[in-house]
Amino acid sequence: MKRKIAIAAALAASLLGTAACGSSGGDSAGTISADGKVDGKGKTIKVWLMVDAQSGWKSVVDDASKRFTDATGANVTVEYQQWANVLTKLDASLAGSDVPDVVELGNTQFPKYVDAGAFGEVKKDTFENSASWLPGLSAACEMDGKTYCVPYYAGARVLIYRTDLFKAAGVADAPKTYEDFIAAADKVQAANKDPKFGAVYMPGRYWYAAMSWVKANGGDIAKKDGDKWVGQLSQPASQDGLNKWVDLVKKYSKADVTKDEADQYLVFSQANAGMFYGNGWEQGSAEQVRKDPNDANSPLVDTKVKGKLAAAPMPGIPSLLGGSNVGVPLKSQNQELAAQWIKYFTDSTSMKGLIKANALPNATAMLDVAASENPALKVGAEAAKNSWAVPSSGKWADVEKANVLQNMLSDILTGKKSVADASAAADEQIAKILNG
Amino acid sequence: MYAVETPPAPVQESPRPPVTRRRKRGTGKALPWLLAGPALALLAALLAYPMGRMIVLSFQDYGLKQLWSGATAPFAGLENYLDVLTDSAFWAVVRRTILFTAVSVLLTVLIGLGVALLMRRVGKTVRLMMIVAMMFVWALPALVQAQVFKMMTDSDVGVLNYLIDKLPGVDFQNHSWFFTPTQGWIVITSCVVWAGVPFLAITLNAGLTQVPKELLEAATVDGANAWQSFRAIIVPILKPLLVIVTTLSVIWNFGLFTQNWVMRDGKPEPEFQTLATYSYVQAFAQNKYGLGSAISVITVLLLLGAMAIYIRQMFKIGEVD
Amino acid sequence: MAADQGTLTVGRSRIGTFFANFGGVVFSIVMFFPVYWVLVTSFKPQTEWSSFTPTFIPEAPTLDNFTSAFNAPNFKASLVNGIVVTAVAVLFSLIIGFLAALAVARFRFYGRRAIILVVLAVQLVPFVALLIPIFLMLQSAELTGDSIIGVTLVYVVLLLPYTVWTLRGFIAGIPRELDEAAMIDGCTRAQVFWRVILPLTGPGLVATSVYGFIQAWNEFIIINTLNDPEHQNLMAWLMQNQTSRGTYWGPLMAGAIITSIPVVIFFLAVQRNIASGLTAGAVKG
Repeated sequence: MKRKIAIAAALAASLLGTAACGSSGGDSAGTISADGKVDGKGKTIKVWLMVDAQSGWKSVVDDASKRFTDATGANVTVEYQQWANVLTKLDASLAGSDVPDVVELGNTQFPKYVDAGAFGEVKKDTFENSASWLPGLSAACEMDGKTYCVPYYAGARVLIYRTDLFKAAGVADAPKTYEDFIAAADKVQAANKDPKFGAVYMPGRYWYAAMSWVKANGGDIAKKDGDKWVGQLSQPASQDGLNKWVDLVKKYSKADVTKDEADQYLVFSQANAGMFYGNGWEQGSAEQVRKDPNDANSPLVDTKVKGKLAAAPMPGIPSLLGGSNVGVPLKSQNQELAAQWIKYFTDSTSMKGLIKANALPNATAMLDVAASENPALKVGAEAAKNSWAVPSSGKWADVEKANVLQNMLSDILTGKKSVADASAAADEQIAKILNG
Repeated sequence: MYAVETPPAPVQESPRPPVTRRRKRGTGKALPWLLAGPALALLAALLAYPMGRMIVLSFQDYGLKQLWSGATAPFAGLENYLDVLTDSAFWAVVRRTILFTAVSVLLTVLIGLGVALLMRRVGKTVRLMMIVAMMFVWALPALVQAQVFKMMTDSDVGVLNYLIDKLPGVDFQNHSWFFTPTQGWIVITSCVVWAGVPFLAITLNAGLTQVPKELLEAATVDGANAWQSFRAIIVPILKPLLVIVTTLSVIWNFGLFTQNWVMRDGKPEPEFQTLATYSYVQAFAQNKYGLGSAISVITVLLLLGAMAIYIRQMFKIGEVD
Repeated sequence: MAADQGTLTVGRSRIGTFFANFGGVVFSIVMFFPVYWVLVTSFKPQTEWSSFTPTFIPEAPTLDNFTSAFNAPNFKASLVNGIVVTAVAVLFSLIIGFLAALAVARFRFYGRRAIILVVLAVQLVPFVALLIPIFLMLQSAELTGDSIIGVTLVYVVLLLPYTVWTLRGFIAGIPRELDEAAMIDGCTRAQVFWRVILPLTGPGLVATSVYGFIQAWNEFIIINTLNDPEHQNLMAWLMQNQTSRGTYWGPLMAGAIITSIPVVIFFLAVQRNIASGLTAGAVKG
C-alpha cells in the first residue's frame, strides 16, 4: 500500500500544503537497472512514443537514441502512436510475443498497466533526477514501494489572458486571487459588447478544469474508505466547486458546451475571448501557428492575438498535473537495453531539449532550469509545483475512458440534469468502475 | 441478359428437371465443394475460429490479465449476458440503433429512388452533373465524409452556422449542433444519408433503364397518371433491386461506427452511442472482453432475427432456388 | 448493356422538365457542397481554415497543406501499402469468391443452402469484436507488424461474403439455357465456364470489385491494430491529423483529397461498368 501512501502524501503536500505521512518508494532494489555497460551490438529495440514527441521534439528523441547507440551499439526503432488507439494496440501487443521494449503512456493511464503487471520493475536510482521526480508523475509508476516506470514530461495548466483587453477594461494586473479573477472577467465582459465574445473561454467537456475547481474547494473525485472507493462529487465541498465552475461557464463562456479543450488555443486565437485555462505551451500556440503543423521546423505565422497574450498561475485553482511516463514491458526481450535508452531519454540533457520545446521536465530540480531558461515555461513550472493527481487506482484509466466526468459535465451544461443529480450519478459510476 | 423478369412463381421454379439431369452429367458431388473450398477454408480459418473465440469469451470473465498471461479466464456462466440484458443503457442503445437504422435507411432509399427517377427526367447535361457529384461523394472515404460534416457543423469554424445565421432574424452564431441528441442525430443521419444516396441512386437509375418504355406509354394511353404508372409498373420491376439495396443499407447502417465516433471525437456521449461503438467501448476501453463479446453475440442474434423473415422469404420465392 | 439514356415518358411536360432540371441542379449542388468544402479547406492556410468567418474561395490560396501531407511521416509507405493491400485483397477475394459463387449458383448439392446462409450471416458480425483473436492468431504466425500478409488475408475475408453473395446473383442471372446450349455444342464444363459464364459475369466482377475496393481502401481500425506505422494505409495515416491538440483541418482535407484520388481514378476506369453491373447483380438477388 506504499504507493497509495506516496500519492496521498504528494497530494496532501501539494494541495493543502500540510505534511502528511512522509514516505516514498525510495531505495527499493529494482530489477531492471540502467547502470553499467550493456553490449547491444546487433540488437534493435522498439520504442513506442506518442505523436507529441514526433511533432514537438523529435530532435530530442533522435539525440537520445544516438547517444544510446554510441554507448551500447544497439539500434533503435521509434514508432509514434496515436492517442486515439494506443491502448487498444498496446493491449493486443502485450498479449502477443512481439512486444515493444519501451512504451510511453499518459500518467493517468499508467497505474492501470502497473496494476495489471504489464511493466517490469526499474531500479529507480539509476535514472538521473529520480530523487526529485514530480510526484504527480512518479506516483503513477509506484506500487507497493516499487517503481515501474520513469517520468518523461509534464504539463500544468495556467491562466492565459489578453493583455490588451485587460488594459482596455481597466484591469491592471494578472489576478492574484479567485475574486480578482472573477472581477477581471466582469470588467472584460462589460467592456466587450459583441454577443459572440466571452470573457473566459471554457468548453463544456473540459473535465481537467472542472475537477481543478472541485479540488480548489476542498472537494475530491473519489476517496478510499477502507478498501472501497466512494465517489465524492456529490459531497458538499465538491458541489461548491462544481457549482462555481458551472456558474463561470454559464456567465462568461461562449464556448461550445459539447466540446472539449483539445482545440481551445485555436479557437482562442480568433480573438473572441478574454481568457482561457490551458497548458503553458498553448499561449505560444495561440499566438503563432506553424505554417506546416506536421513540421516542427516550418516557419511561424502570427495569429490575431500575436503579442497580446500573457500567462499567470490560475489563482486559487491547483492544476491537474498531466504528462507522460515511459516504462519497460515485462515481456520485453531487451529490458536492460530499454532501461539504458530510457536513461538517456530522461536525463538532464534530454530534459533541456524538452524545455526548449516548451514542455515541462520530469523533476522539480529541472523545473527551476525550465523557469530560468524558457520564459514561456515560467508560469507553468510554478503551476506544476501546486498540482494534484487523479485517484490512485489501477482502474482510474477506465473512468477516463468511460468519459464519466465529461458526460457528467455535458449533462449539467445542456440542462439534462442538475448539478446534484449529475454528480450523484457520476459518483455511482465512478465507484462501480473503481471497485469493479 | 439483364432482362428483368417479374419474380418467378415459386412452384414453377423449384422442381427443375434440367438440374437433375445436369447433376448426373457432372463431375460428381466433389466439384462444387472443390470450387467453394478455398472460400470456405479462408472463412473457417480467419472468421470461424475468432468467432468461436468470441462466443467462448462471452461466457468468461476475461480481462487484461488473462489477455497478457494467456491464463484461462474464469467461467462466468451467463453473467455477461445478464449484465448486458439487464442494463437499461444497453436497451437504450439498441432502441437508438434500430431507430437510426430505420430512419436512415428509409430516407436513403426514398431519396435514392427519387433521385433515380429524377435522373430519367432531366436533360443530358444535368444528368451528367448529378452523376459526377455523386461519384465524388462516393469516392470520399467514410472517415473523410464524417470529418467534413464535423467541420461544417462545428460551432466555431462551421460553415453551416455561418450560412443559417445569414438568414434574416436567425441567430445561429456559436450554435452547438450536438447540444441536444435530436440535432446531433440529424447531423449524423444527414451525413449517412448523403453518403448513401449515390450508391442507391446510381443502382436504381440503372434499374430504371430496364423499364420498357412501351409499357409506360401503353399505361399513359390507358389514362394512367404518373403515380399509377409508378406504382403499377416501375415499383414491381424495381422490387428485387430495392430489396437488395435496402438489405445492404440495413446491414451497413446498423453497424454505424465511423460517423458518430468521429463526430463525437472518439468519445461519444451515452446518447450518441450505437451498438457498434458501445460494444467497442465495453470491450476495448474497459477491457471487458467477455462483456464486449456478449454484446456482439447479442447484436448478431438481433440482426439475424430481423433478417430471418427476409432470408426465409428469399429461400421461399426461390431467388436462391 | 447499352444504357438507355432516354428519358422516361411519365407525365412529361415542358414545365415539368424545367422543374426536373432545376431539381437536378439543386441536388447536385447540395451533394457536391461537402466535397467542395474538402477542396477549399485544403487550399486554405491555418489562419483561414480556423477562422470564424468561413471563406468560400480561399483568400490566400496555398499548397502548404499538400506539402505538409506529402512530407508527413510515412506518407509514401502508407500510399504504397494501401494500394498493394487493397489490390491484392480485391483480386483474391474476386477469384476465390467467384469460384464459390459458381458452386452455389450452378450446382445443387447438400449443404448449399447452409453455405448461402453462412455467407449472409457472417456479414452481420461486427468485425471489431474479432479483432483481438485475429490479432493473436496472425501474430503467432508472424504475419503482423512489418508484414502486410496478415492484414491482406483479413481484408480478403472481410470482402468474401459480399463478393460471393453478389457474384452468385450475377451468375444466377445468366440463363442456364446458355450453359446447356454450349454443352450441346460440345463444350466441356471448363469451356462453358471460360466462354459463357466468365465473359457474361464481367460487369458483375467490376461492380463487386468497386465495393471491395472501397471497403479495403477505407479500412483503418484493423490495419492500425495489426501493423506498425510504416506498414499501414493512407486512412490510418490520415488519422494522424486528429491529435490531442485539436484537428488540423487544412492538412487533414489535403490528405483526404490525396487518399480519394486513387478511388476516383479507379471509378473513372470502371465507371461504365458500375451501374450496369450493379443492376444485373441485384436483379436476381
